[in-house]
Amino acid sequence: MTDFLKKLAEILEVPEVKSSDELKAFPQWDSLAVLSVIAMLDANYGVNLRAADFATVQSAGNLWNLVESKKRS
Amino acid sequence: MNFSFRNKRISGVLTVVPANERSFLEDMKNFNAPEARSLKLMEVMGYDKRRVVSEGVCISDLAVFGLQNLFSRSLLKPEDIDALILISQTPDYLVPPTTSVIQGRLGLKQDMLCLDINQACAGFVIGLIQSFMFLEQESIRKVVLLSGDVLSRKVSPKDRTIYPLVGDAIAITVVERDSGESSIEATVKMDGSRGNALSIPAGGMRLPCSPQTAVLEDVGDNNLRAKDHLFMDGSAIFNFVQTEVPPLINALCSRTGRDIYSGDYFLCHQPNRFMLQKLADKMKIPHAKMPNNVVERFGNSGGATIPMALTINVADHLKAGSARACLAGFGAGLTWAAMLLTLGPLSFCELIDYP
Repeated sequence: MTDFLKKLAEILEVPEVKSSDELKAFPQWDSLAVLSVIAMLDANYGVNLRAADFATVQSAGNLWNLVESKKRS
Repeated sequence: MNFSFRNKRISGVLTVVPANERSFLEDMKNFNAPEARSLKLMEVMGYDKRRVVSEGVCISDLAVFGLQNLFSRSLLKPEDIDALILISQTPDYLVPPTTSVIQGRLGLKQDMLCLDINQACAGFVIGLIQSFMFLEQESIRKVVLLSGDVLSRKVSPKDRTIYPLVGDAIAITVVERDSGESSIEATVKMDGSRGNALSIPAGGMRLPCSPQTAVLEDVGDNNLRAKDHLFMDGSAIFNFVQTEVPPLINALCSRTGRDIYSGDYFLCHQPNRFMLQKLADKMKIPHAKMPNNVVERFGNSGGATIPMALTINVADHLKAGSARACLAGFGAGLTWAAMLLTLGPLSFCELIDYP
């Protein structure tokens, strides 16, 4: 998860993202950020999320759980 | 679905782009987004300049201009055109077909076949397959394959998911028989169940154009778009390309015993630089072998982008000699298609401006 949080921080252009941070609260959280995250998840974790999947996700930790559950299936 | 052909070749490619150029920095003024985020979009996606037609210019105008250019330079004789195919989703009219309009405007012979094909992103590959099939007939010795769109006329200036990447163009590709033994292998897949990811909701018979379909609607993220406008689900298309295109190309190579890494170029449909870089990374192909610079210079013009990628990157190589290429198109339909063939030497390979 540490690596995942670091990659998220890069996309969101902030020094750090914590697992409890709410994604929608970041000023850079828009459709470009969502696409960049989708690309990052595909390249690094082999998981393909859709923009609609992000509607159910609140925090960075929630997103990681979603990614893990897709990796298993 | 797999296809195999022998003794066919592309003999020349001419791409025609409107002289009128727009820049992202100009386009950005219409977006409801902070300037910093728009600039980030430009950097990440790879947007810069694009060519768009002036008001009222149609795809037949670009085609007629280009064909007359070839006729005037004796690179093509009108009477030699046995089949004319147009790959486009922006016809001049619903009726008559745009290839018939072009045939009429140029006074081409009656003893020929004209065919409009409603396709775009994967359309150049589909059009080549159709061209090769026609050439199997004794009566058809030369096919002119036109591919392109004037989609700038169908996008919302207030929709930054699509406006900055669309360009207009037509490519004219001459396809004929070849005495050599080289084989051409292709594969096509279709999935209409996901087709709504790339669509123009109004304007067909399902939902005709009306004052209501022209109304700009808030579609989220501060983008405005009408039902008359092109819609693209960016993340769905991204996932589609990443999950479907690598296996398609890998299967084509293994079926035909080719090593994917031994080819010279991957000439893909150009949705934008970002998607092509991610696709190249996924397939472990060096970016130099998969050109991705069409959109930042000219915009995405649908079925014209594969010939444009060829024209602006490898023209010199293909006029002097030949190269082994993998063509790949993916998008509207949804359709995804790939083709392995040897390209060149070409009698002509260039880009001209439509003034």
